[in-house]
Amino acid sequence: MRYLPLAPSEDRALLDTIGVERAEDLLVGIPEGLRIQSPLRLPAHASEMEVLRTMESLASANRSFHSRFLGAGAYSHFVPAAVDHLSSRQEWFTSYTPYQPEISQGTLQAIFEYQTMICELTGLEVTNASMYDGATAAAEAALMGVRLTRKRGTILVSRGLHPHTLEVLCTLFTPREGLRLVEVGLKEGLTDLEDLKAKLDGEVACVLVGYPNFLGCVEDLRALAGPIHEAGALLVSVTQEALAFGWLEAPGRIGADLAAGEAMSFGNRTGFGGPFLGFLAAKDGAKREMPGRLIGQTRDVDGRTGCVLTLASREQHIRRDKATSNICSNQALVALRANIFLQLAGPEGLRGLAEQNAAKAQYLRDKLLETKHFFPLWETPFFNEFALGCRGDVKALQAACREAGILPGLDLEPYGWPGAMLWCATELNTREDMDRLAQVLGAPPC
Amino acid sequence: MLNREREPLIFERSVPGKVGMDLPPLDVPEARDTRPEHLRRGPFQALPSVSEVEVIRHFTRLSHDNYGVDDGIYPLGSCTMKHNPRLNERVASLPSFAESHPLSDPLDVQGNLAALFTLQEWLKEITGLAAVTLQPSAGASGELTGVMLIRAHHVALGASRRVILIPDSGHGTNPATAAMAGYEVVELPSAPDGTISFEDVVDHAGRTHPGLLSLVQDLGSEIAGAMITNPNTLGVFEHRIQEIADLLHGTGALLYMDGANMNALVGVARPGDFGVDVMHLNLHKTFSTPHGGGGPGAGPVACTAQLAPFLPRPLVTREGERYHLDWDRPQSIGKVHGFFGNFGIALRALTYCLSHGGDGLRAATLRAIVNANYLRKRLEGTYHLPIPSPTLHEVVFNDANLLPAGIHTLDVAKGLIDRGFHPPTIYFPLIIPGALMIEPTESESKAELDAFVAAMEDIAREAKNDPEALHQAPVRASLRRMDETTAARKPVLRWI
Repeated sequence: MRYLPLAPSEDRALLDTIGVERAEDLLVGIPEGLRIQSPLRLPAHASEMEVLRTMESLASANRSFHSRFLGAGAYSHFVPAAVDHLSSRQEWFTSYTPYQPEISQGTLQAIFEYQTMICELTGLEVTNASMYDGATAAAEAALMGVRLTRKRGTILVSRGLHPHTLEVLCTLFTPREGLRLVEVGLKEGLTDLEDLKAKLDGEVACVLVGYPNFLGCVEDLRALAGPIHEAGALLVSVTQEALAFGWLEAPGRIGADLAAGEAMSFGNRTGFGGPFLGFLAAKDGAKREMPGRLIGQTRDVDGRTGCVLTLASREQHIRRDKATSNICSNQALVALRANIFLQLAGPEGLRGLAEQNAAKAQYLRDKLLETKHFFPLWETPFFNEFALGCRGDVKALQAACREAGILPGLDLEPYGWPGAMLWCATELNTREDMDRLAQVLGAPPC
Repeated sequence: MLNREREPLIFERSVPGKVGMDLPPLDVPEARDTRPEHLRRGPFQALPSVSEVEVIRHFTRLSHDNYGVDDGIYPLGSCTMKHNPRLNERVASLPSFAESHPLSDPLDVQGNLAALFTLQEWLKEITGLAAVTLQPSAGASGELTGVMLIRAHHVALGASRRVILIPDSGHGTNPATAAMAGYEVVELPSAPDGTISFEDVVDHAGRTHPGLLSLVQDLGSEIAGAMITNPNTLGVFEHRIQEIADLLHGTGALLYMDGANMNALVGVARPGDFGVDVMHLNLHKTFSTPHGGGGPGAGPVACTAQLAPFLPRPLVTREGERYHLDWDRPQSIGKVHGFFGNFGIALRALTYCLSHGGDGLRAATLRAIVNANYLRKRLEGTYHLPIPSPTLHEVVFNDANLLPAGIHTLDVAKGLIDRGFHPPTIYFPLIIPGALMIEPTESESKAELDAFVAAMEDIAREAKNDPEALHQAPVRASLRRMDETTAARKPVLRWI
């Protein structure tokens, strides 16, 4: 067994020092009847070569696509080589939570820089070291909204949130007595302002709105913030494609009190949906209600600047059942990748990438409309994703794409929009790819 | 490698005009700007302008200030800092896995589904339980999923029960989880041997804490379940676990097991065989996936057939040679993650399982127990062992022997840093004042264990001979002791 430093002579020495004959003698604390009587029914150990072969054969059972037009919460973006190389240094990926600051300054400072950039992108003042993913970050934001507004128990959720986010919210709110989720409908792909106003009352703690939303539409947060704040509630923006922050104004600057979402797009791959990167940002006054780990700057006894875990009295290991959340392990290494990515991108790279995404998505939409299979549902602004009505059989169109090695857009029928599809284009989709897609779908060649 | 100086924040290195990423020329027309004026992103203040070279040097220099498992023993108790095999990383980065999309047609991701299904089957066999979900993202997420299964079970029976019992030695995530699931927490006191007390316990202040028997009698059908770590955070197996399960089941309550310490049981004992109804596993502890500086982990939940209908949807199922995502689960508590959990972590854990096999998993468990007992034997006498019960994969000492010299657990931890070691978990479990909780795992050789013992002995000597030197520790790390009070009083949580 290559991972165990076993040598018969050393084993004997260990057992002799302890004073037992066999390792099994140390199981004395486990009542005999509770130990397994026969070996586990599992295959025997295997060499590195054999295991690699097995896993490669599983990987090859997946269909590979040369171009991908599916987003819906998991976006294909370019990952610079430096992200993979730096994040695979053992100092980053094999270390634990930085509880001992003197030998964890690398992780601590990296998270401090990450916190700074998430605050910059969201236009807010405080953010934590990461959440599991966009969906759970949205749920934690809603719970935070409830704590911040005290006795209010209603959470309004826009129908434009990602359906999986809505389901996670529902799962986590079901056990909470006195709290209820109420859906606000959509109009032309955007949160219906009239429906929102009708549902806003003194019981509403917060309102969750997609930015951009699940259908790719860019909500006007400023227009929504007015009535929400008038009712004494908080506006929570939920962003499933964080690259949009290179193109869209920061939610905190146009009325959002809390910003939650998914930042996997910064230096990560779609990886069948995880590990991803949830973020949650708030105004400074809300910091003591923040879930999860926070890194703060301080000095050592010699006056040198460094970072530590701070405001831990919010957290489970100190506050136990009174903690702001039960979260302990987070997505630190994914946040590190986002951090490296954002430093490489810088302001120019981020803006440039975002502009390319917006341009490619507009080109894709035009090409798809040319095929005559599709028709516009509305003309609202979008970033790199958009919904279109579909005249033909959605499944047949998808099948044609898959056969041609193209990962098609999402069929929206299971999510309540029959006869519609959600398409996404990013910097990875070349004009050639998009023209070919249009060809496969039967457009006149250009 | 020593850094020349403290690495500054990247923002201090920023010079406008530098770029670390370039893009190909745009091959489509520029975007028509459809955004209302106020939705256009304004200028950035806190994104750095630096070249790729500077980014690489920045993160490389920062990394010098971190301690990792590859540097040496990382004896954090209940954290199971074992070796992270590189094969796991290679497998997780295979493009067909890494670039697969979670909303693909299931027919196009049969390899992913087969991997998830296979891991589910391994975990069922290892835990002795009937069903597994891989969706929870971490231990705490697994706990919450498990407790919500318990809740769903009671709700389905039309019962409303309000209490979860948790031992005073439990992890903080347990009570925090119970509260998130809408429960009230009632604490179970520990007996002198470190296990859950059946009898009432009178503390030093003369207060009586009802034991398990009284609580079950007094609270009866108010009890929804108990969350118990086994072996507990002292490394001691709850030897009356079967009786505890029977008592709970007798009142209609269920038993949740926190699987944080499963590294002591894999291949040796199965929770399903001693009355556990539902539990989580930490793939980032027991199954060797890297801790990543705090995550990502994964917290699969295993449960009995009785609880299986409530598991989060979708579940991965198999019919003949074909794998499916089963969304049609009317009694499911719903989703607990946006997609299917931390798939990349599940791949690493499966790779670990296949490498070890059933025989290797048991060998690893036994070796972890031997290593912990070797450290216990070597350090006993030098350090105080407050609970002398037999221990499995970890052992808890404290600072009682050093207090006369004015040396506390924190000083021991900082002294270890100066000697090139990562300290153990300190001041936990809460029931042991000044606890030093040591878990070496199976990954350590005799030479590494001996080196750790030598360092601990050296610290004990220094505590006697030169306690002031220990109060000053660490002096060899990149920073000395940090002012955590000011950090919390006047928090600085970002650069600008």
